[in-house]
Amino acid sequence: MGEKNLEIVQDQTATEPNGQISHLALDIGGSLIKSVYFCRSDSSGSGDDQDHECSANGGCAKKRPAIEGSLHFAKLETSKIDQCLETIKSMKLQFNGFVHQNNTIEDNTIKDTSFIKATGGGAHKFADLFKEKLGITLEKEDEMDCLVAGANFLLKAVRQEAFTYIDGVKEFVQIDHNDLYPYLLVNIGSGVSMIKVDGDGLFERVSGTSIGGGTFWGLGNLLTKCKSFDELLELSHRGNHRVIDMLVGDIYGGMDYSKVGLPSRAIASSFGKAISEDKELDDYKPEDIARSLLRMISNNIGQISYLNALRFGLKRIFFGGFFIRGQSYTMDTISVAVNFWSKGEAKAMFLRHEGFLGAMGAFVSYDKQRLDDLLAKESLQLQVRTSPPVDTDYQSPLNGESIENETINCIIHTA
Amino acid sequence: MTGFKEDPVLGTNDMIVNKEGSGTETGSSSRPPVVDKAREEGQSGRDMAGNSIHRSGSRPQLDLSKAAIQGNFEERDPTILLPNQSDDISHLALDIGGSLIKLVYFSRREDRSNNDKRTKTLQEKLGISNGSRRSFPVLGGRLHFVKFETAKINECLEFISSKQLHCGGVDVCNGLLGAAANNNAVIKATGGGAYKFADLFKERLGVSLDKEDEMDCLVAGANFLLKAIRHEAFTHMEGQKEFVQMDDNDLFPYLLVNIGSGVSMIKVDGDGKFERISGTNVGGGTYWGLGKLLTKCKSFDELLELSQRGDNRTIDMLVGDIYGGTDYNKIGLSASTIASSFGKAISDQKELEDYSPEDISLSLLRMISYNIGQIAYLNALRFGIKRIFFGGFFIRGHAYTMDTISFAVHFWSKGEMQAMFLRHEGFLGALGAFMSYEKHGLDDLMVHQLVERFPMGAPYTGGKIHGPPLGDLNEKISWMEKFVLKGTEITAPVPMAPSGTTGLGGFEVPSSKGATLRSDASALNIGVLHLEPTLEVFPLLADLKTYEPNTIDLSDHNELEYWFTVLSDHMPDLVDKAVASEGGTDDAKRRGDAFARAFSAHLARLMEEPAAYGKLGLANLLELREECLREFHFVDVYRSIKQRENEASLAVLPDLLMELDSMSEETRLLTLIEGVLAANIFDWGSRACVELYHKGTIIEIYRMSRNKMQRPWRVDDFDLFKERMLGSGDKKPPPHKRALLFVDNSGADIVLGMLPLARELLRRGTEVVLVANSLPALNDVTAMEVPEIVAEAAKHCDILRRAAEAGGLLVDAMITNSDGSKENSSPVPLIVVANGCGSPCIDLRQVSSELAAAAMEADLIILEGMGRSLHTNFNARFRCDALKLAMVKNQRLAEKLIQGNIYDCVCRYEPAN
Repeated sequence: MGEKNLEIVQDQTATEPNGQISHLALDIGGSLIKSVYFCRSDSSGSGDDQDHECSANGGCAKKRPAIEGSLHFAKLETSKIDQCLETIKSMKLQFNGFVHQNNTIEDNTIKDTSFIKATGGGAHKFADLFKEKLGITLEKEDEMDCLVAGANFLLKAVRQEAFTYIDGVKEFVQIDHNDLYPYLLVNIGSGVSMIKVDGDGLFERVSGTSIGGGTFWGLGNLLTKCKSFDELLELSHRGNHRVIDMLVGDIYGGMDYSKVGLPSRAIASSFGKAISEDKELDDYKPEDIARSLLRMISNNIGQISYLNALRFGLKRIFFGGFFIRGQSYTMDTISVAVNFWSKGEAKAMFLRHEGFLGAMGAFVSYDKQRLDDLLAKESLQLQVRTSPPVDTDYQSPLNGESIENETINCIIHTA
Repeated sequence: MTGFKEDPVLGTNDMIVNKEGSGTETGSSSRPPVVDKAREEGQSGRDMAGNSIHRSGSRPQLDLSKAAIQGNFEERDPTILLPNQSDDISHLALDIGGSLIKLVYFSRREDRSNNDKRTKTLQEKLGISNGSRRSFPVLGGRLHFVKFETAKINECLEFISSKQLHCGGVDVCNGLLGAAANNNAVIKATGGGAYKFADLFKERLGVSLDKEDEMDCLVAGANFLLKAIRHEAFTHMEGQKEFVQMDDNDLFPYLLVNIGSGVSMIKVDGDGKFERISGTNVGGGTYWGLGKLLTKCKSFDELLELSQRGDNRTIDMLVGDIYGGTDYNKIGLSASTIASSFGKAISDQKELEDYSPEDISLSLLRMISYNIGQIAYLNALRFGIKRIFFGGFFIRGHAYTMDTISFAVHFWSKGEMQAMFLRHEGFLGALGAFMSYEKHGLDDLMVHQLVERFPMGAPYTGGKIHGPPLGDLNEKISWMEKFVLKGTEITAPVPMAPSGTTGLGGFEVPSSKGATLRSDASALNIGVLHLEPTLEVFPLLADLKTYEPNTIDLSDHNELEYWFTVLSDHMPDLVDKAVASEGGTDDAKRRGDAFARAFSAHLARLMEEPAAYGKLGLANLLELREECLREFHFVDVYRSIKQRENEASLAVLPDLLMELDSMSEETRLLTLIEGVLAANIFDWGSRACVELYHKGTIIEIYRMSRNKMQRPWRVDDFDLFKERMLGSGDKKPPPHKRALLFVDNSGADIVLGMLPLARELLRRGTEVVLVANSLPALNDVTAMEVPEIVAEAAKHCDILRRAAEAGGLLVDAMITNSDGSKENSSPVPLIVVANGCGSPCIDLRQVSSELAAAAMEADLIILEGMGRSLHTNFNARFRCDALKLAMVKNQRLAEKLIQGNIYDCVCRYEPAN
């Protein structure tokens, strides 16, 4: 899918008038590479329409020149890093504004001074590769910083970013900017990080678990013949976990264990039925296995998140990371887990751009350092002009991907 | 064990009558004189051959140590594996799980109704009027822990049937065998199988299963264990077990995490007060289920074993994999931390077959254990609970599992909390079901009333039954021979490197142990719990909480190895003596071989896993050997040696007493202490000393030894002691009211050492209580033997005679030659008391009630000999004056304890406060 998606994006950018890609930021994770890039539109530099926008930082922007354009989101499997490099090369990124100050425009050909903001473990791992193949330096941003910055930005800048998902019903939550903090940010990548966020740049990784997206995909890869994460997800949608999971009812003869408040449908032991002697792996449907896996992992993450939120008295838990992908069943399971363990006190919330928090954060970090250097006292401010929640049929299992095709129109003030 | 009953001369009832006689001053004239008894004894000793036990019942004057005799029976009773058919009455509770059936059953020992009378008599002697000091609500007996595979439920049913366990019924107070007629017998049971197999039990055994709630049982079981068993809980970090002593008053609340198919987390606030606060569906079933799908393992244990050899780095994505081998320092994640379990298995090119099952199993194990540890920690945190106990079948004493869980708890709590495990973790449910009987009486049981013993099969089976139940000694021996020869079904343990390498902590890569290590190698063995209601805490201990009997900590591997070598080297000689003591018959030889095998197996098991039997001290090890001998019906290995030495020493006693009487008080006191130290050289437990014996007669060695007593001794508080005894200048301190003398060896040690010292105390008006072993251990003198020795000595000494009469020791002698005894208004008594144990050492947390009673008014304790004053109690503090006397007959111990040399002496005097 990765390649295809990127192509779509490329197509889109190609259709954009004057589509000039700049400000690329990458989040190179263990499984996926996520990218956010800014595409200049025609009117960039006009600076006419910025005063009716609300700044992401809450302040009111002065009238000044702005670059107008749109933010694009794309992702690719990390194992296909070579394709990624090719794509970036073909994108012919205009690194205007991203060259060290002491270089002139003419020196732009001197590639070793070009850089891209990047985060994620791969930013370290593949630094040499980028240098060698593209002559681009990866400017490493701390992963956690990026995650938080990305989430903070999105939660404040995009009106309908957060939503709850209960029993198949998606409901956007209006976030009061003055009452955003503290919240728990659960980023489900290959592993899971749980971060308590107290403000801009104010956060602490309070917990985590090694049972995350990588586990789902890894175990799924071993147990089924699925070739991709998404295929596995799709399978899970059609499965029945009761074939494999041991339910409370299985133990108590179909009855609830009411004494301790466990309904008969509750999973007592994930994969607990797979211990049956006369059955082997081939006797189970991949769909059922995928479903059981998904439930196990989502439920576990939901539970640990809730316990951590409880510990710090956090009312809001936002779940993000590529594991979720707007996958309704995943979100549902996590919501149920949070709801169950908190006895309805806490609600799981999700972010529309969940997979791109890190990349977004890396992108935002351009603001703070390099642009200041180049543009003197000018600061980059992304202003969201329109952010239409175009995806109306979110319930369909996989259309979380539509996010990747979505753009956020915005303006970068340059004066 | 039938010796007592079959005794043609004296039955139990005779004993009682006799004792009552001795309690009243007049006594009965029908008793033959002690001297005759002794002679008779001597003869029977010589031609005794197989009838070894005959002796024990034939001495009316031994009444004080009846408890010991019973204990003696007790010890020869069969064990977990080989219970005797003649168990009086039992009751049974079951926990029928998906893979294992756990049984807890209780076998009561003989009726002890006569015990109270005896105790009363003793109390009169000791001047204790409070008759209601302690009534025993608890029956003496043994609690057995046994397990079967659920798949082999037939074996379990046969076991129950052959032992008539199902006939015990609920009411322990009712008749014994008559209960078999009870068709409405009910057995308490828990676990899923309690429903599933109810019909089968009804059909095959005619009993109904009374189902108890699983969680109730778990909690009841855990509460009982944590309160009643010392060192039940342990921590497990980096492969090291450390036993933790729970404070009864500070046990609650705790979090009990039961890891079965799923995981339940239960907050326990007290007896019957608990709440399931959390749980997770990722548990043992997940491990087994996923493991089964991913590997071809046929059993849970196989899967666990695979994990021993795995390397999870091939499958798990580590922090280092993401960050190019560097730590993510900012948030404290090391490169070896698992970032994503199975995260590497997403590779396109590889399929299931490309990964080794070992790696998969380990990765799974870590994932699940770590997750459980984390969720448990978060829940404990939430409720402010400091202690988390993990149990359930998932753990199975598996080192990596425990390490991973411990690591998780430690990591997340930043060292604030500890994961703890329970030695009896597999039996929580069964024990809880057992507790649910209304009249078990176990609620009142105190920790000091329980003694755990490890029968011969313990090192091999860990409670699992192999083969049909064995009825008698012969079958036991056969079993022992068979499995050692065959070595098929049950693998003999292989001595391994120190346990430090058993498992590495956290997420580090485990070292490969190769295929020799059994998956349950680090599992702990469970012994039989002996319920001894008469045991009590020695009341004169200064601080029970800090008291630790063992001076030598065997968790030091070098120490362990040293003592194991000592014991192993000593074995051939011991077996020879043991066989000779039983007449050297073929039967005795066969038993001797079986003993050697059984004890070697214990040693091998303990070398492999020093914590296998719980907290291991030198005292435990030495007692284990004695218990093992008793198990194979070697009642008293050193009997003839002891007799010979007693006789030889008694022969020279009059001369010694005369010599002493000619001295000044001050010289005499020093000579007496020198004598105790010198006589302590006679110790068959010391190899060095045994070699000495070939070089001269007892008295020669004694005199030589005494002459060498050059003060100052290595530890020399004599002057302090002297001052307390004799005062300084004109100040004469009052004599002690009552002195407890813990005696050590037979022969010169007691006759020429302790007895003259006792005599001196008596002369000064101090009551003397000679405290001796209840059961034989090496050549230690037993409480049974002491009165005879005293009687013999009393023939030559008025002081001893009068005191012995006053103490009721010389019933018969009194009749023959003490008509004028009333003239001496009230001589201070000399009393003999059994200490309640059968080991060369003594754990003062568990002593006989008569010793505890005798201690009440004591203001001086004298501990003599290595076992009781060095190996144990060297650091013990008492509420009264204490004198510890011993000759160190072991170079290593001398260096370690007193920075001295072999044959150095210790005279440590610690006044009360």
